[in-house]
Amino acid sequence: MVEGVGRYAREAVAGMGSAGRMVFGAVRASRDVRTWGPHATEQMMKLGVGSLPIGILIACFTGIVLALLASYAFTNAVPRYLVGTLVQKTVMMELAPVLTGLALAGRVGANIAAEIGTMRVTEQVDALETLAYDPIAYLVTPRILAGLVMFPVVVGVAMMVGLGAGWLASMGLLDLSSEQFLKGARFFFSEFDVRYGLVKAASFGVAVTAVGCAAGLETRGGAEGVGAAATRAVVTSAVLILVLDAFWAVVWLLGRSV
Amino acid sequence: MKKRSNDFLLGLTILLSLALIILVTLFLQETELGTRRQKVVARFRDVGQVTVGSLAVIRGVKAGSVEAVELEPGGWVHVRLSLDKDVTLPPDPVVLLGASSLFGEWQASLTPRRSVPAGAEVALQLAESAGGGTGILPGAVLPDVAQLTTVAGSIAGDVASVAERVQVAFNDSAARELRASIRNVNNLSAELARTVRVQSRNLDTVSVNVREGAASLARASTAFARSVARIDSATSKGEVQAIMRDVARTATQARDAAERINRMTLSLERTEVSLRSVMFRADSVLLKVHQGQGTLGLMVNDPGLYRNSDSLMMELRDLIADLKKNPKRYIRLTIF
Repeated sequence: MVEGVGRYAREAVAGMGSAGRMVFGAVRASRDVRTWGPHATEQMMKLGVGSLPIGILIACFTGIVLALLASYAFTNAVPRYLVGTLVQKTVMMELAPVLTGLALAGRVGANIAAEIGTMRVTEQVDALETLAYDPIAYLVTPRILAGLVMFPVVVGVAMMVGLGAGWLASMGLLDLSSEQFLKGARFFFSEFDVRYGLVKAASFGVAVTAVGCAAGLETRGGAEGVGAAATRAVVTSAVLILVLDAFWAVVWLLGRSV
Repeated sequence: MKKRSNDFLLGLTILLSLALIILVTLFLQETELGTRRQKVVARFRDVGQVTVGSLAVIRGVKAGSVEAVELEPGGWVHVRLSLDKDVTLPPDPVVLLGASSLFGEWQASLTPRRSVPAGAEVALQLAESAGGGTGILPGAVLPDVAQLTTVAGSIAGDVASVAERVQVAFNDSAARELRASIRNVNNLSAELARTVRVQSRNLDTVSVNVREGAASLARASTAFARSVARIDSATSKGEVQAIMRDVARTATQARDAAERINRMTLSLERTEVSLRSVMFRADSVLLKVHQGQGTLGLMVNDPGLYRNSDSLMMELRDLIADLKKNPKRYIRLTIF
């Protein structure tokens, strides 16, 4: 057991080291625009535009459920318009970034890990190196850049859709007027809420794509290794999302008031 | 071609997403782009929990929001309000900051100075913050729920202390005495109820009498009013002046009569004294007569004298008759 703990610790530190090295390499390779430029749009389309439906679906149901949950939780002692406050704050600052990030970790992280892992086990990555292409600039930089740009886009749309779904649910399913919901939504609203959610989403995008790329590049063996890499990418991305969520909360929310 | 299509779709997605985020943010912040708004600045010593974005209301109606909260020299805080351009400020306006709900929401109320809630603290704040310069309104902070809760907590502490003392004082003997007192109070209340029933009947009678008395008073007042009206009319003809002159004359005559009566009374007193003296003397004379003293007493008290006098009178009557019959026997008239 002691040996197992030691092995896991070594692998974790080695993984963080390789991921850090890879992110640093991707930043350094961002100067090589001619290498990653032609692939950036494709990756953004795949990661971002392709992920919009799942993000919208998650946000839609989240908004509805939050409105119903708030209505259920608030007794007569609490004004009903606070349903709007709870939906706005929760969707924008927490649920839209985290749930969308987790969904994209499964979709995007696994996709990247499987794609690059397959390239690794079929020696396409080695072929790139043989052709004097930097695999980091060719494979990792456009993906991390796509995650950095498109995660906030998807999460931003999810925020607005979640808020709108909560608004419609409050009017349609609850005995709440549009004015009441908007009063609650505006009650403690600050543009910081949007900024906070988008910055978190960008950090999640970098984490998910970097972990996916690292898992793919470290793939060993055949198809089994690719599957393991995809699984590792999803699990690590999900954990990293939760860790980053707590990190941003401590950094930005601790000691801050509306 | 496909790459250019992807670029367009990606750019459109990003731009639409950004536009959506910006529009929703502006909508939730109630930002009005391109609308001219009027600015009002008020100064305070403290702004409580008012922040940028807090509501500005006039008579409870939303008129704008707090645009800025700034620290100023001299220990002042300036609050800049952004109001709708159509809003008309109340006369002699002041700005009051206070909680608008129990959930930490504060607002700035623009109100006429005459409508400020009574309170020495608020008046003091307004007086202190006045004179901040042209266009700077005086402001005050109303007591918030926390302060009221603190006072309520202090009161609750006092009540708890009193309750504790009551608990110490309220032992078994006190409970027995209290039960006895309750019984006594019960009996007393029964007696009181009976008394009240009796008195209520009396009161009914009294009230009837009072009602009748009131009716009589009403009638009397009506009659008095008529009399006053008559007096008023009489006054207008000068009859009262004549009556008053007659009364004055009569009073003068009465005074003279009284003086005469007074003099007569003095005379009568003197006459009485004389009469008493006469009576006393008469009484002494009669006493002497009764006692047979003196001639008259002898005459009154001696029957023999009465008889002699009677016979004398008879002889004298005979003599007179004889004299009438034979005057020459007794009277001899000679000349020379």
